[in-house]
Amino acid sequence: MLRIEGLSVSYGAVEALKDVSLEVPPGRVTAVIGANGAGKSTLMRTLAGLEKPKSGRVLFNEEDITGGKPEDIVRKGIALVPEGRSTIPDLTVEENLKLGGMWRTHAQRGTSLTRVYSLFPVLGERRHLGADTLSGGERQQLAIGRALMTGPQALLLDEPSLGLAPLIVTQILELVSQMAKDSGLAVLLVEQNAATALRVAKTGIVLNLGQIVKSGPAHDIAQDEELRHAYLGY
Amino acid sequence: MIDFIDYLLGGVSSGAIIALMALALVLVWRSTRVVNFAQIGQAMFTTYVALTIRELTGSWFLALIVAMAAGLVLGVLVHFLVIRPVKRLDTSGAIIATFGVLIALEALAAMVWGGDPEAFPPPIENAGYELFGRIWPFSPYDLLVLVSVVILVLALSVVFTRTNVGLAMRASAFNPEVARLSGVRVNRMLVLGWAIAGLVGAVAGVLVAPLSTLSPTSFDIFLVFAFTAAVIGGLDSLVGAVAFGIGTGLVIALVSGYSDSSNAPLVALALLILNLLFKPEGVFSHHKARAV
Amino acid sequence: MDSILQRFSGARLGVNAATALVIWGLLTWLNQVIDPLMSYYLATTAMYATAMFGMTILLGLSGQVSLGNGALMAIGGYIFAVTSMNWQTVPLLGTPWNAVWSMVFAGVGGVVFGAAIGGIAARLRGPYLAGLTLGIAVGVPAIANRFPGLLGGENGLMLQVPYPEGGYASQDVGSEEETEESSEIGVGDEPVYEELPDEFADQGEQSGVDDMLTEDDFLSEDDMLTEDDFLSEDDMLTEDDFLSDEDFSTDEGFDTELVEEDLLTDDDFLSEEDFTTDEGFEASVDAGAETQNGGDAGGGNEFVGGTDPAAELDPAGLDSEFVIEQWQASVAIAVACVVGFVALNLVRGRQGRVWEAVRDDPIAAAVSGISPAGSKISAFVVSSLFAALAGAVFAQILSYVGPGAFTLGLSLSLLVGVVLGGRNSFIGAIIGAVILVWLPEFVLGLSADRGWQDQITNNAPNFIYGLLVVLVVLVAPGGIVGGIQGLVGRFRSDSRTG
Repeated sequence: MLRIEGLSVSYGAVEALKDVSLEVPPGRVTAVIGANGAGKSTLMRTLAGLEKPKSGRVLFNEEDITGGKPEDIVRKGIALVPEGRSTIPDLTVEENLKLGGMWRTHAQRGTSLTRVYSLFPVLGERRHLGADTLSGGERQQLAIGRALMTGPQALLLDEPSLGLAPLIVTQILELVSQMAKDSGLAVLLVEQNAATALRVAKTGIVLNLGQIVKSGPAHDIAQDEELRHAYLGY
Repeated sequence: MIDFIDYLLGGVSSGAIIALMALALVLVWRSTRVVNFAQIGQAMFTTYVALTIRELTGSWFLALIVAMAAGLVLGVLVHFLVIRPVKRLDTSGAIIATFGVLIALEALAAMVWGGDPEAFPPPIENAGYELFGRIWPFSPYDLLVLVSVVILVLALSVVFTRTNVGLAMRASAFNPEVARLSGVRVNRMLVLGWAIAGLVGAVAGVLVAPLSTLSPTSFDIFLVFAFTAAVIGGLDSLVGAVAFGIGTGLVIALVSGYSDSSNAPLVALALLILNLLFKPEGVFSHHKARAV
Repeated sequence: MDSILQRFSGARLGVNAATALVIWGLLTWLNQVIDPLMSYYLATTAMYATAMFGMTILLGLSGQVSLGNGALMAIGGYIFAVTSMNWQTVPLLGTPWNAVWSMVFAGVGGVVFGAAIGGIAARLRGPYLAGLTLGIAVGVPAIANRFPGLLGGENGLMLQVPYPEGGYASQDVGSEEETEESSEIGVGDEPVYEELPDEFADQGEQSGVDDMLTEDDFLSEDDMLTEDDFLSEDDMLTEDDFLSDEDFSTDEGFDTELVEEDLLTDDDFLSEEDFTTDEGFEASVDAGAETQNGGDAGGGNEFVGGTDPAAELDPAGLDSEFVIEQWQASVAIAVACVVGFVALNLVRGRQGRVWEAVRDDPIAAAVSGISPAGSKISAFVVSSLFAALAGAVFAQILSYVGPGAFTLGLSLSLLVGVVLGGRNSFIGAIIGAVILVWLPEFVLGLSADRGWQDQITNNAPNFIYGLLVVLVVLVAPGGIVGGIQGLVGRFRSDSRTG
């Protein structure tokens, strides 16, 4: 569904990504793991159109979307939940959600909103409150909910565990993994917290200094002690 | 006491106009994080356009509509020709550029219409209402100003809080990256912000002209008043701009009434300094990023 | 030239002093050989340059967009006018008052106000600072309206330019060189004037009313009514020229004011020349001044300064070769050179690096022990001092201070000049000053050839300034100097690679 071929990205003289190729199939979670500075966020931002690649291609449903603008890429069906608090605290919970997918029909958006509220009931309860009143875990739910409002076929999650309690992280990731199975969503999950990520993922990809050093079934990678010591630090 | 009420009443319409001008500054600030010091020049220019239309057709209302359209176009032009190319370079560059636009617009207006003050008579009676056996310093024209401002502010608040475009504009102001990732065409929202600000400024110009005179620099003082109001309101708060715009107008009216109207700029300056010293993030703002 | 000088950083002080002296000498020589109109341009250019050296430090080195410098010029100008009109002796010291003291007090006023504004400004960034200083530019000149007695209100004050009796002779040049070298920093105008106190000590204060009546006296005494020149001069004065001038400047913007001013002084000069050829004139001026002063004291009108009965104008005075424009220019040049010398020392020394460090990265500067707030305040203080001195010079060039002389337009024109010339260099400030003076004249010349309407001619310079400022910000943020440096750099690297 989402295929990346030989992607390289530089910030000035620094090469953040070097010749990265991978595939994100529908209906399951693909996890990209690696230490801080491995190029994980750069990969996600480039896929979403926030960074321009130096070379390589990004194909989505066989269409070349390399170098497209974020607002166009999201319309094609790739939604990024960026790192950190990607909600807008000045808006209400419902306004944050309604921001996603404004180009879609009224009916489509209504359906999506109902679905988000059933997935994350706490958002429904607080729909008219300011997003600044939410806890960290609720904000992450809100950010994912906003991405789902765009009706994506591929969901890119950048470090969803950042600053959250382990229990909440597990809950959120399991929900995402369930969603992938149920609706055929392609999920690309980027995590520093490798153990958690590999638990919910089908495929694991290890990124180090901008290059893929290993990819394979998540289970195998989680077991590979050498890999763990060398790149994942646990 | 009756003096106090008289002075307050006399300040209502100018306060409402300051509120509009402050609103224009806030709209631009929210969309591009630039204080458009040329805003008053744009308003002055479109008021001259209104004067010309009015002299040609005799219709104040038509003149207002044409000025609004001109303000919209001028706002979009300034955005595309000046702000969009400059913004990425540096903030002081953007500030200097808006002053460049102000200088050029004031000179252009003087070249086209001459530098002498022109009368811009009110479309309706500007003598105070007579009630309970005395004349109050509130005229039918003041009422017209007030009604126009209320209509415009209500229309804007409906747009901003009840429509998708308004939501997209607010989101673009608060967090352009998240807005883009949600599918909002943020660049269009920025243009829209400048366009609406131009329109609002044009209305402010046409409304204020009968209360002062119209010359290329006669509105300059309103830039100081409006900036004061916008900053006290927090610079990104529409509600704050309106509230403190009216407040600034009333305070100026009171001080002018009890002392002398030439104190007005000093009053605005004092308000601004007090605010920047004691409440630098503004009263209505969520953000605290004003100092270095 | 900058780069050559920088190599001798050890002998920086001497080099800077030599630079300032050479420029001062050249300009002084120039001032003696050009005609009085050109001297007027020279005076105005030097005055703008003085103010813009401060803008260079504030905007270029400290990175703060301020529009307050016009207001600070007003403060300097008013202090100069009020002190020279009202004080016969220096408070506390009791020594006779002279123009040097007025300059010193103007500078002190600039420092005080600069510290106050800087204290607030240090807490602000970009647009807030610009907006605040905009308020200052609009608000501060309005203070004059609050004190119509002392400050002349809306009409302003007219003052007699302190004018030496014998002109400035060559021995002044020598002594000035010495004093200038010996004084490193500090209030630089003192040495320049050190030779002059006697020369304008008994100048006293003259208001515009004195001027007017003096002319009238002269008319009746010498029976020159038939002379065309004189009649036109009389016209200018009796229509209360400063009122109309001021109206004009507030309506049309800042540079039209300049044009207007220069026409006025031009006329002044013509009449002055006429008078000096006439031997009886000075005596009559003196007599007129005294009578009028006496009348004033009784009348107690708004020109408080005119009540000085001790004011005397030395009748033996005026050297026929030494006209008032030359004197104004020599004052302006001296102040500009001293200020430039001080500015060079500050910028090329530690303080300059502190300013740049804070501009480029306030957090890193703070970590390395520099106070960003202190740096910003010091930039404000220095630029305010320069602005106030420029304002005092401006007052002498105009022989007038008033709200109409220190408009928002003046502040804007300083910004225009610095941005166009190049905000990071003093040479840029000088180029900017030249542009501000030259462009209106150039447009006037074009207009005379093509018969443009006045409203086009008077406003075209500002229109061009506005467009140029936008253009410079877009394509050459370093202004003319930055653009030339960029071209030279490209040429050099081209020739190296090619």
